[in-house]
Amino acid sequence: MSAFRDYLSAVWNVLRKDFHVEWRGRQGVPVMLVFALLVVFLFNFALQLSPDLQAGLAAGLLWVSLAFASTLGLNRSISLEQENKAMDGLLLAPVDRSAIYFGKVLSNFGFTFLVGLVLLPVFSLFYQQNMFKPLLVLVLVLGLGAYTSLGTLLAALSIQTRTRDVLLPVLLYPLALPILIAAVEASRGILAGQPITDYQSWLTFLLACNILFAAAGLMFFETILEE
Amino acid sequence: MTKKPKRLTFLDILCLILVPAALVLILFFTPTERVMGPVQKVFYFHVSAAWAGMLSFLLAAAAGAGYLITREQKWDWLSLSTIEVGLVFGLIAILSGMIWAQPIWNTWWVWDPRLTTTAIMELIYLAYFILRSSLDTIESRARLGAVYAIVSAATVPLTFFSIRLFRTIHPVVIAMGGSGGSAFNMTPRMLLAFFSSLFVFTLLLLDLVWHRYRLARLEAVNRGEGV
Repeated sequence: MSAFRDYLSAVWNVLRKDFHVEWRGRQGVPVMLVFALLVVFLFNFALQLSPDLQAGLAAGLLWVSLAFASTLGLNRSISLEQENKAMDGLLLAPVDRSAIYFGKVLSNFGFTFLVGLVLLPVFSLFYQQNMFKPLLVLVLVLGLGAYTSLGTLLAALSIQTRTRDVLLPVLLYPLALPILIAAVEASRGILAGQPITDYQSWLTFLLACNILFAAAGLMFFETILEE
Repeated sequence: MTKKPKRLTFLDILCLILVPAALVLILFFTPTERVMGPVQKVFYFHVSAAWAGMLSFLLAAAAGAGYLITREQKWDWLSLSTIEVGLVFGLIAILSGMIWAQPIWNTWWVWDPRLTTTAIMELIYLAYFILRSSLDTIESRARLGAVYAIVSAATVPLTFFSIRLFRTIHPVVIAMGGSGGSAFNMTPRMLLAFFSSLFVFTLLLLDLVWHRYRLARLEAVNRGEGV
């Protein structure tokens, strides 16, 4: 049992460290947030959206801006560790390396979830509909959880290439597509006020994606980082 | 090793005979579909190519697992070969589907989930080559390529699932019957041609992968790695 406690405390320490770094530097969340807002503005003009947006469009816009913005955070969370060879220090720690992975996933999730929470009232304001719904927050948790589980794994992978972090979007977006589709469909159902039975299968699907990609991280994170 | 194995030559000849034979079967043996007319005959090679593509991506994941377990280069060659050949089959499936869709759906392309996910699958495996080319050592190419091939293959069943979960206009030919058994909406002659093309395309896949595998091995020998 205490082995499991050690594992959890390793996860917690990585998570706490990341939040510490973020709190001191404030270079992750604000950048993601501004970027997400810029995406919203760009789409607004590129697609000539009207303020009384349909539920489907608002849901899609929310998830596209979140997906784009979180790539910045995902890249940063791994490239940060490459500075001063901090990653080597992490890897030298006598803990299971998947603990580092889950710590990173949780911190990435925390940051992107914060961005999502700020975006909800902004969207409500811009597009004249209440997006602060408990179920939508649940979709944010499930969708961003799956997205950051996969994203953290692929960020660790892409950082090892010659092109460094440039590769992450190319690897992440196509693989994350099922997550995005499910998240958008569930959000659309919620915003359109449909009964929960209409989009329940999407929530289950997202939950399955969480488990699947977390399992992939558990299995492969160590393989990716070995030298 | 440079000598071509007899069994490969046999497989070559078998494919050279059987692919035209399947074509003859499709063109002259099967009845013309009542509603769609002759264009329905695209279906046989379309589904077979899609099947061969999917199968090769699954084989790539299995070969990736083989590499991660044994760390022998030959598994990486196999993984690379199956993905390269699978990409071509996927492209054939998409293009032949377009030829069918033009008269039937009156458009070359619809943003149907099944079509979109197949196209995304192609992009996923195109990114595999970008990933490989931006890695410097042979070992990291094999290791990270294997991880990527396995994680990507997780999206192949998602693609297949999507036809059930999404509302789609893509025909479901092999439908699950109400009693649990599967029912084919085809006449016996159609079934025969269908399974023949599936079989022939599987053989063709094996043949091409085998050739590509030998090429990968020759490349390694040429680079001066002992085999």
